[in-house]
Amino acid sequence: MNNKIPYRVEHNPAYASLVLDVPANETVMVEASAMAAMDSGLQMKSKMKGGLMKGIGRMLGGESLFINEFTAQGKQGELYISPGVPGDVKHYYVSSKCSLMVQSSGFVACSPEIEIDTKFQGFKGFFSGESLFLLKATGDGDFWFSSYGAIIEIPIEGDYVVDTGYIVAFEDTLNYSVENIGGLSFKSLKTGLFGGEGLVCRFSGEGRLWIQSHNIAPLINFLNPFRPTKSN
Amino acid sequence: MNIELLHQPESAIARVSLDSGEELVAQAGAMIAMSGSINASTTLRKGKGGGVMGGLKRMVAGESLFLSVFRSPTDGNTIWLAPRLIGDLLIYEMKGQDLVVQATSYLACSSQVDLDVGFQGFKSLFSGESIFWLTFSGQGVALLASFGAIYEVPVDGEYIVDTGHIVAFEKSLDFSIAKATSSLMGSFLSGEGLVCRFKGKGKVYCQTHNPGSFGSTVGSQLPPR
Repeated sequence: MNNKIPYRVEHNPAYASLVLDVPANETVMVEASAMAAMDSGLQMKSKMKGGLMKGIGRMLGGESLFINEFTAQGKQGELYISPGVPGDVKHYYVSSKCSLMVQSSGFVACSPEIEIDTKFQGFKGFFSGESLFLLKATGDGDFWFSSYGAIIEIPIEGDYVVDTGYIVAFEDTLNYSVENIGGLSFKSLKTGLFGGEGLVCRFSGEGRLWIQSHNIAPLINFLNPFRPTKSN
Repeated sequence: MNIELLHQPESAIARVSLDSGEELVAQAGAMIAMSGSINASTTLRKGKGGGVMGGLKRMVAGESLFLSVFRSPTDGNTIWLAPRLIGDLLIYEMKGQDLVVQATSYLACSSQVDLDVGFQGFKSLFSGESIFWLTFSGQGVALLASFGAIYEVPVDGEYIVDTGHIVAFEKSLDFSIAKATSSLMGSFLSGEGLVCRFKGKGKVYCQTHNPGSFGSTVGSQLPPR
């Protein structure tokens, strides 16, 4: 995969950190609060990305998609980026031949030429009962996405089924539909706040899919009984 | 059936390859991706003795032992399985030795393995959750998950392990659950809850971290429900 901005990923797959070598006078867009360290020559500006202005009222899992813009002033600068949850980071080169669909909390960084469309809404309840949106990245440039846990790449050539909570990203060439596999549903058992509907995404066609080895939802379900009860 | 473990020890995930007619039984919610032709159904597993419906409905820290059965109609199908908590995975080959597994560590097993809800430990003093044990018997393969890393302790004599740190142990061992110290207050204050005393010869699989401690530490700081 070619890329415009030199980069390396360190400490993956469990504690991945993305290090970008931003060339002189070039800019990169990074998820707000993800910057861990940087060369002093890099200048930061807070911004909301392009097409997001219309989506300003939209809450993506409780947060708006705020993005910071980093520009290397005069000389090349190194930028250390850490996603919010420990996991993996992968790179994808978006081009006119293929756009990328990404789980909204999976955005880490991208080159300024990329257009991110948050108005493209996946099905409500797509991801285990939460209103997480899908982002569509189009244009020509680098894109980096992250996960909770490790990222596994699956080249799809036919019929594949994935639990909706574990999808990180997939190429636009794939067809998908959200289904409910009754055989997997255990929602009626009230096993937790999230999950259990047996909601899966059925992919067909050809393209690459990235899944994550873990999901925040089961962690939340696990922690839920330990929360203090209101009577305390 | 072939199980491959990836990304050990922190974000361990299993890739199971199934051939025609093969079946895999997994903890509900463990499947994260699979080939489109695989057939899935949920079941309440009956053990050898039958009549475990009551036991199966017990909630263990908000979780029941509900199982999904996956059946592959053709050769070369794949299922990806992942545990709820970040940690490691262990493949245990069942060759006639019964294995006692802490219910929350159970991820999957081949369908010829018998799962019995055999023993329910005492309520843990610390977290208030019941310690739920499963007994595996028969031949086949068991896939277990841990919170933190897994390490094996070959016991020959006596050994004591905090119950929150037990993933599984071979049934050849005699075991008893006890308070960490002789007094109730002593156990509570030490934070050491319940321990399991092992005697005899056999292997104990332990996890480096205790889900109950993690849950109390983080959960107690979250908004009340």
